[in-house]
Amino acid sequence: MYRMRLPPWLVLLMPAFVILLAVVAIPLVLSLYSSFTAFQLTRPETITRWIGTFNYEKAIGDANFWAAFGRTVLLLTVALNLEMLLGLGLALMVAKVTHGQRLLRTIMMFPMMFSPILVGFQFKFIFNDNVGLLNNALQSLGLTDVAIPWLVDGNLAFIAIVTAEVWTSTSVFAILILAGLFAIPQDPVEAARVDGCTPWQTFRYVTLPFLMPFIYIAMAIRSLDVARAYDIVQVMTAGGPARRTELLWTLIGRTGYVDARMGYANAMGYIAILLSIAFTVHFFRKLSSARTSLGMGD
Amino acid sequence: MKTFAASSVLALLAGLGLASAALADGEFAGVTIDAKLIGGQQYEALYARIPEWEAKTGAKVNIVSQKNHFELDKEFKADIAAGSISWCVGSNHSSFASQYPQLYTDLTPLVPAETIAGFVPAHIEAATLDGKLLILPRAQFDVSALYYQKSLYTDPAKAEAFKAKYGYDLAVPETWDQVRDQAIFFADPPNFYGTQYAGKEEGITGRFYEMIVADGGAMFNDDFSPAFNSDQGKMALQWFVDLYKAGAVPPGTTNYLWDDLGNGFASGTIALNLDWPGWSGFFNDPAASKASGNVGVAPAPKGAAGVRTGWSGFHGFSVTEACANKEAAASLVDFLTNDDSQKLESAAGPLPTRTAVWEHVIAAAASDPYKSEVLAAFQETGKTAFPVPKTPYWIEASNLIYPELQAAILGDKTVDEALQAASDAVDGLMRENGVY
Repeated sequence: MYRMRLPPWLVLLMPAFVILLAVVAIPLVLSLYSSFTAFQLTRPETITRWIGTFNYEKAIGDANFWAAFGRTVLLLTVALNLEMLLGLGLALMVAKVTHGQRLLRTIMMFPMMFSPILVGFQFKFIFNDNVGLLNNALQSLGLTDVAIPWLVDGNLAFIAIVTAEVWTSTSVFAILILAGLFAIPQDPVEAARVDGCTPWQTFRYVTLPFLMPFIYIAMAIRSLDVARAYDIVQVMTAGGPARRTELLWTLIGRTGYVDARMGYANAMGYIAILLSIAFTVHFFRKLSSARTSLGMGD
Repeated sequence: MKTFAASSVLALLAGLGLASAALADGEFAGVTIDAKLIGGQQYEALYARIPEWEAKTGAKVNIVSQKNHFELDKEFKADIAAGSISWCVGSNHSSFASQYPQLYTDLTPLVPAETIAGFVPAHIEAATLDGKLLILPRAQFDVSALYYQKSLYTDPAKAEAFKAKYGYDLAVPETWDQVRDQAIFFADPPNFYGTQYAGKEEGITGRFYEMIVADGGAMFNDDFSPAFNSDQGKMALQWFVDLYKAGAVPPGTTNYLWDDLGNGFASGTIALNLDWPGWSGFFNDPAASKASGNVGVAPAPKGAAGVRTGWSGFHGFSVTEACANKEAAASLVDFLTNDDSQKLESAAGPLPTRTAVWEHVIAAAASDPYKSEVLAAFQETGKTAFPVPKTPYWIEASNLIYPELQAAILGDKTVDEALQAASDAVDGLMRENGVY
């Protein structure tokens, strides 16, 4: 009797293939398929109602979807740059500390330990116009005598959301950049000093190029995070009021789970993934060129 | 007097079928009922009675999920989609029920007719969809009445100034036009506001809906095409816009939901507050509320058509169509909504849904003027209360409507533009789903 014998390498890889298939490939294929159907969670039979590209056409023709898309890109750009600058500053300062640096590094990571939902509630309270901490402080200090509508005005709400995002995730940048600072060889830095470079020149032309790969890795990780921003925004504003803070995933989450229109939500999700892919490709290209310029291979 | 006589007759009728079907000892021995119930401190006291039902019937109750209704709603939808409805009893809400037409079974053949007759008829009507009785309501009936700060109406200087400005006496408002006048008059931002309203999600859509009805309009036509882009709809939305523009409501009100509103009134910075009965104890609790001792409660004001606002809903329990032992599950639901259960639950403040229990709570509150005032206001409002439109697309329609209402309130769109956009969106939704 013939028994099929699989090559050992395939047998060894099989568990990984099966797990990947179960947790990644099947949900991906299923959600891709359902994006071409009229699938509604409350009517399971609709998963077989094929409607072609209707959901995609609807999303592409929906001004609210593109407004949310644009807002997500803006949030990504602003939050990532702010987090990078603050994280860099924080890392440079912590790197100079000689005593208690471990304690500082632990403290620095505290915001990352909070659940995003909790962070959302915390900042929702801080920015509440009537009983919030910030308005009460500003009014008590005599800086204003009006209730500033932090979570209502489009620009102010954007600032409030960026503040919450930056507070919770700057340490991601700080920790990675700190790791980069520890990895920098000291010879080029000392050579720069000997050659009479100012501290700024040393930082700009020696330290920073060494840090750029670390910065781009942090950027790639955080861009995926922010492109999927949901919890904090959902709690603070739920995308409102009047869609002023609507992001891709607050819109998609509401369409999928509250409106139960999973087919349409999946179609929007697949278009949204393009954004994540674009940012990831961009940062990996940057990472690659930064490594090349350091002579670290392509 | 007439009202008293009528309610006494109702109480007597209810008394005849007062207790639900008597439980036979060991009737469901060996049966396990899996249940997904709403969680939260205010709901827990009732669940403490479950062991009593278990001891009597021999069945066991296994609570497999306890979450708030919004989370349960998502879980139910995921269960339906995955075809994994292995549980029997679920918490339900009149606003959510129409979304799951196939999930729950008709309780009419499972519950004695006299048990059903013991509920306030309007609730049974609201719990019946397409001829199927899907929910037995628990003592968690919700309709909103007007809470106000009493001291505002005893200040002669305010009364004089108000009359000089508006030409009529300052008194607890009976119409929504009076609420608008008084809210603008009382407002002194950022320290004190005339009123506030739920500003997002079903909160604002529901308030808009009840205002349209009070103004003599309708949210939907009979075929569920949108009817809110009407003169009454514009009048209703204008009320919200006027108050926002005048600074009579907190500027963040478009982000507020129930907890924000309750805490706002309790902070003593709001003059008039249309709110649910569950807050009555909190508002008058000196440890929790700066308004305590100064809280008055009046029936919901009337709109232009002389009709009170009365968007209402209730919590209850349903039995799944997939349940293997529907009789046992229905027995549990019956037990959790019977007179004794409702007396227990309503003792903490929530309103009952059984006629006999209404009489009981009114009698029990006779020595407490505040509680009596609360019950009288909510009972009066409850008489003309109405549930959400019975369409499975209510929540979805609400999600299309509320951003447009917000846009008008915040000045991003005119009232006409906002209602036109909302109406077009809801029309598209209904057509896409083949409603007409």
